[in-house]
Amino acid sequence: MLTEREIIATLDMLRNENLDVRTVTLGVSLFDCASDDAGRFIYRVRAKISRLAANFVDVCDEVGLRYGIPVVNKRIAISPIAVAACAASPEEMIAIAVALDDIAAKLRIDFIGGFGALVEKGFTSGDRALIEALPEALAKTGRVCSSINVATTRAGINMDAVALMGRTIKRTAELTADRDGLGCAKLVVFANIPQDVPFMAGAYLGVGEPDAVINVGVSGPGVVKKAIDRARAANPGLDLGQLSEVIKRTAFKVTRVGELIGRQVAKKLDIPFGVADLSLAPTPNVGDSVGEIFQSLGLKSIGNPGSTAILAMLNDAVKKGGIFASSHVGGLSGAFIPVSEDLNIAEAARKGHLSLEKLEAMTSVCSVGLDMVALPGDTTAATLAGIIADEMAIGVINSKATAARLIPVPGKKAGERASFGGLLGEATIMNAPNDGGSDGFISLGGRIPAPVQSFKN
Amino acid sequence: MKKIVVFVLGPDRTGIIAAVSKTLFEQGCNLEDVSQTILQAEFVGIFIASMADGVNEDKVLSALSARIGPLGLSVHLRPVEEEPAAGVRAGEPFVITTVGADRPGLMAGVTEVLARHGANITSLKAVSRGEESQHDYVMIFEADIPSAVDLSVFRAALRGRAEELGLDISLQHREIFEELNRV
Repeated sequence: MLTEREIIATLDMLRNENLDVRTVTLGVSLFDCASDDAGRFIYRVRAKISRLAANFVDVCDEVGLRYGIPVVNKRIAISPIAVAACAASPEEMIAIAVALDDIAAKLRIDFIGGFGALVEKGFTSGDRALIEALPEALAKTGRVCSSINVATTRAGINMDAVALMGRTIKRTAELTADRDGLGCAKLVVFANIPQDVPFMAGAYLGVGEPDAVINVGVSGPGVVKKAIDRARAANPGLDLGQLSEVIKRTAFKVTRVGELIGRQVAKKLDIPFGVADLSLAPTPNVGDSVGEIFQSLGLKSIGNPGSTAILAMLNDAVKKGGIFASSHVGGLSGAFIPVSEDLNIAEAARKGHLSLEKLEAMTSVCSVGLDMVALPGDTTAATLAGIIADEMAIGVINSKATAARLIPVPGKKAGERASFGGLLGEATIMNAPNDGGSDGFISLGGRIPAPVQSFKN
Repeated sequence: MKKIVVFVLGPDRTGIIAAVSKTLFEQGCNLEDVSQTILQAEFVGIFIASMADGVNEDKVLSALSARIGPLGLSVHLRPVEEEPAAGVRAGEPFVITTVGADRPGLMAGVTEVLARHGANITSLKAVSRGEESQHDYVMIFEADIPSAVDLSVFRAALRGRAEELGLDISLQHREIFEELNRV
């Protein structure tokens, strides 16, 4: 028999604290669709995804209904297209993106990720074609997401790719200028990208993954915040060691939900279950914010001194609780700080409590990086590349995933608002340097060598 | 071996279980399952016991009445049915929870929908969440729902009734509560 306390606590998490499963992501390998003919490749991709995902959305809804836990997003992650369609030309890459968008729409999939490339050590012809196609592909599609991995701890940083991505982001923003540069919200540059991320825009199916797999991304920043608030109200003397225990226990519960839902969906679809990604992923809704957790832990605003320390503790406690709750943990697993997707973080940026530089410092301990950061429209490609290079260096040296999802909003200046709609939210444009100070460094190109892994100081 | 079920009801006081179990022991009965609950000041206990051969039901009942009658308690006894009663079908365990302001007719209104769909209530609690407001009267039903029942139809029926009664209702498979709260 369940106790009434268990039942009421669970109900509160669902009703008042925005507990949900942020995404169930179906991974589909496209390597067996490969062809030197783009039309044939598209035909095979359409057939394979349509077959595997025919009931995917309905099954997610059915399982969500059974447990009373909404599955907010249903997504598909595919093999990196630059590998699977290596022979395609840039024009054919665009056609592939348009086909993927159509497949996703027909299957009622929110986003399809994997229109990407892995170029940490160099480019193949497919990598070059895909990156060249990106601006137009992202402008012409609504559901296709792209991740480009430009650095790893083992390979170092491909600075030619970093410079190329600076230019690509700039061009993508221009082609979606009428939508505040929305194309850039679907494009993320990574260091050390995990092979099984279920979250967008980074989701893709790595080359070591099975033919099809279900990965699940949990969420629940609101649940963590309320748990901290309740614990502090009941005992105002709690210190940070005790509060991190509260976070850990809460992360355990949140992860259990994701694991259960993911396994049930996998069972019904007869596809293996991969990992639970136990990230705190905010949405632009009240009470679903990572930024608010900083306030519950005593800061006036995220961005105040102390923010990096809190984020380090939060990220670690979330991982500890989640790892115990799940049999297989993967993806990014930690706390996200996407500026536009979190009301509280967006507000801190608007009020000037949170600068680009502080955000960068915080990314050295969070689970992703500079995420959904709106920058002035006149930010140059070299400055964007400089920001990306710094972010990649943090990931490479610390052996962790880092990413940059930067949006230079065309025609807008720092302090103005950019709006991307839906879960992507809206944000005040942050100040970025604009004195050409990075041009010389970025023009050097080449590769920054892989770092030594011992003598860590 | 024959089994009996004994129901004991009346005002709560110390020593009820001691008196009943001692009497059953003296009468040659072996206790198998016991459940008791207290609501406000009222006690109810259910005892299932197996009887040694040659033990007489009437004799057990009169011994129990003699022992606990003076305590103001009533006792009922009958043989246990071996098969579950007609109309109780196996199903999957769900938890149905309602939250809303207390008023007469809530329980009758919700349980009518459950009965109509063949859901068998296995546990039921109604609690006032006290510290907050009168809007926080919570009913928690654990029920086995036959696999043949279409969950979306059942859910819609529950929702409709809950709306009439001014309640917030949820229907969830029991597994979610176990996963969340137990290691």
